[in-house]
Amino acid sequence: MKKIILLLVIAALSFGFQSDNKVITVKGSDTMVILAQRWAEKYMQTHPEVTIQITGGGSGVGIAALINGSTDIAKASRPMKPSEREKLKQRYNSLGVEVKTAKDGLSIYVNDKNSVRELSIQQIKDIYTGKITNWKSLGGRDTKIIIYGRENSSGTYVYFKDNVLGGEDFTSKMQSMPGTSAVVNAVVKDVNSIGFGGAAFAKGITMVAVKKDANSKAFEPTEENIKNGNYPITRFLYLYLKTKPTGEVKKFIDWILSSEGQSIVSKVGYFPIR
Amino acid sequence: MKRSILLSVLLLIFMINITAQEDTSKVTPDDLKAKIEELKGHIEGLNESYLETKATVDALKKIKFSGYIQTQFQSAEVDGAATFAGGNFAANMHNRFMVRRGRLKLTYDNNLTNLVLQIDATERGLGLKDAYLFLKEPWLKSFGLKGGVFDRPFGFEIGYSSSSRETPERSRMFQTLFPGERDLGISVEYSPYSPFENFLGYFNFKAGFFAGNGSSVEVDNKKDFIGRLGFSLPFYEENLAIDGGVSIYRGGVKLAAGKSIFTVDNSNAASANVKSSFADRNYLGFDLQLYYAMPLLGNFSLRGEYISGKQPSGSSASSTSPTSLQTGDLFMRNFAGYYLNYVQNLGDKNQLVIKYDVYDPNIDVEGDQIGAAAAAKLGSGDIKYSTMGIGLIHYLDDNLKFVLYYDSVSNETTTKLAGFNSDLKDNVLTFRIQYKF
Repeated sequence: MKKIILLLVIAALSFGFQSDNKVITVKGSDTMVILAQRWAEKYMQTHPEVTIQITGGGSGVGIAALINGSTDIAKASRPMKPSEREKLKQRYNSLGVEVKTAKDGLSIYVNDKNSVRELSIQQIKDIYTGKITNWKSLGGRDTKIIIYGRENSSGTYVYFKDNVLGGEDFTSKMQSMPGTSAVVNAVVKDVNSIGFGGAAFAKGITMVAVKKDANSKAFEPTEENIKNGNYPITRFLYLYLKTKPTGEVKKFIDWILSSEGQSIVSKVGYFPIR
Repeated sequence: MKRSILLSVLLLIFMINITAQEDTSKVTPDDLKAKIEELKGHIEGLNESYLETKATVDALKKIKFSGYIQTQFQSAEVDGAATFAGGNFAANMHNRFMVRRGRLKLTYDNNLTNLVLQIDATERGLGLKDAYLFLKEPWLKSFGLKGGVFDRPFGFEIGYSSSSRETPERSRMFQTLFPGERDLGISVEYSPYSPFENFLGYFNFKAGFFAGNGSSVEVDNKKDFIGRLGFSLPFYEENLAIDGGVSIYRGGVKLAAGKSIFTVDNSNAASANVKSSFADRNYLGFDLQLYYAMPLLGNFSLRGEYISGKQPSGSSASSTSPTSLQTGDLFMRNFAGYYLNYVQNLGDKNQLVIKYDVYDPNIDVEGDQIGAAAAAKLGSGDIKYSTMGIGLIHYLDDNLKFVLYYDSVSNETTTKLAGFNSDLKDNVLTFRIQYKF
């Protein structure tokens, strides 16, 4: 027995701890792809010994990759679900480490030619659950609302469903787009359309002002309104790790949270947390 | 599919472009309009085709196959070693190759309704593991109903999949009390749709009525009640999780006509009960799991369970729960058992596991009391065992896992029972490779 235990302990020590990885993989949220790419480019300029690989696929895909060990960091535009934490717990004895990196106002896009300029959360919910189908009932033209959204692997999709639709299912009439840019492009081309996504992607469209309820004041997703909490659909943008970061991964995370990393958050169009 | 559409569109644009370059002087606005209309037609056609394919793919996505194979080599101390590390060795051998588990699981996941069928195929034959349906109510999406053959809702280790478990086998206590882990029955479950949002979100609950014979056919009218009330406390900032639960089993084993239920305790002669038609099978269990990250050492888990109660069996040589209709006398014992399981991460790819488990099938007797008087009806089924296990796990990737594990088993000794006057030679070394998909 003693020999066996000794053998196992030696084996554990010999292949237990691994050297720090110089290649850092970051996978997940499409909303955060541009932001993460800017971070990586800037960081690699001053740390040429480190390679950072950024890929998208959606928050769900990134978190799944974190659980199965195929990425070092998952980026997510929604909090990790308890069921995902449970899987991490089972494999890594860990609930995962969450790092809040930026704040975003989840914006509601309409075409520039659309006269509707503000909506309540309830109206947005009714549009996306299929209860409101015509712009006329919202003060717009008598035309059908063309609804664009994201695929269900997207963190934006999950966040919107949980926080705007109150967990209800999206209408089957919604056209799922592969990324926020695709949603923006669709809204630019279609005068009767509506979409949602990060404020940083809003080019060539109008972001409507949103009010908490029918009697509240409507607020646009400006930096000030998002930071002071007036804009009602704000969210954090996260990085998730399996366990407490060490080595090069820790240095990269620390840099993201530094003033240099946070200045990139502003440049890309999101809002720094520090 | 989207890639195909994109490629087709690009190809069309490219072709139009080439044509345009070839003879730009002849292109009129009407030609261009016609080309655009043609292109639109193509895109609409492809879109229709995509939507049709998407509907088929969405339907197929509901069918999921998963499974795993565990292939292992084991070496015991002596030929014919009796062990709970994958079953007894044959009389003439002390090492063996074995496909311990060969599982294939089919799940039809229709959101609020599920069907699960799982088989186990090894060199020893084909066996049914799971066959159940699951329905979830559509309003709160928190309450469910399960029916068929599935894991008994008792404790933690039963429901912890063999493919995820760090030790090669479950503890001796669970293998004895719940052979095969599953049972035939129906249960209700509460699992919060949005955990931790309110007080009830920290709890979960499973309870139901079961045949009581494992996956075997029903043999009597009495149904066994099994239930567990659990809690889950996550402390995300501290990366600490504390889970646990209380479990209860209230059931019975049918006594054959003209036979007796013998209470085997420290009396010189076991008392016989001929009036009852069922022997009580009552357990109470507690389980606790702790997950935390220690400075320097990293993440670890510490899990433990304790179960005690009354256990009827069909023999003085075994306290294992019956899985068929009993034709002889029944033997009733007061038992207790527990295990502690420690798993330490060694980086992302490796884990060290240490497990200590104890099962005392008869807490009323010890040592030389066992086998001292024939009328006491005590036998090898009353011997207490403790097992110290240590092992290493290496995860090559998401699919492949290697396990090297050593079980050191100690048994209670008695000079009054042949074969048990010293510690048995039943330690086992296991090397296992698991492929999971």
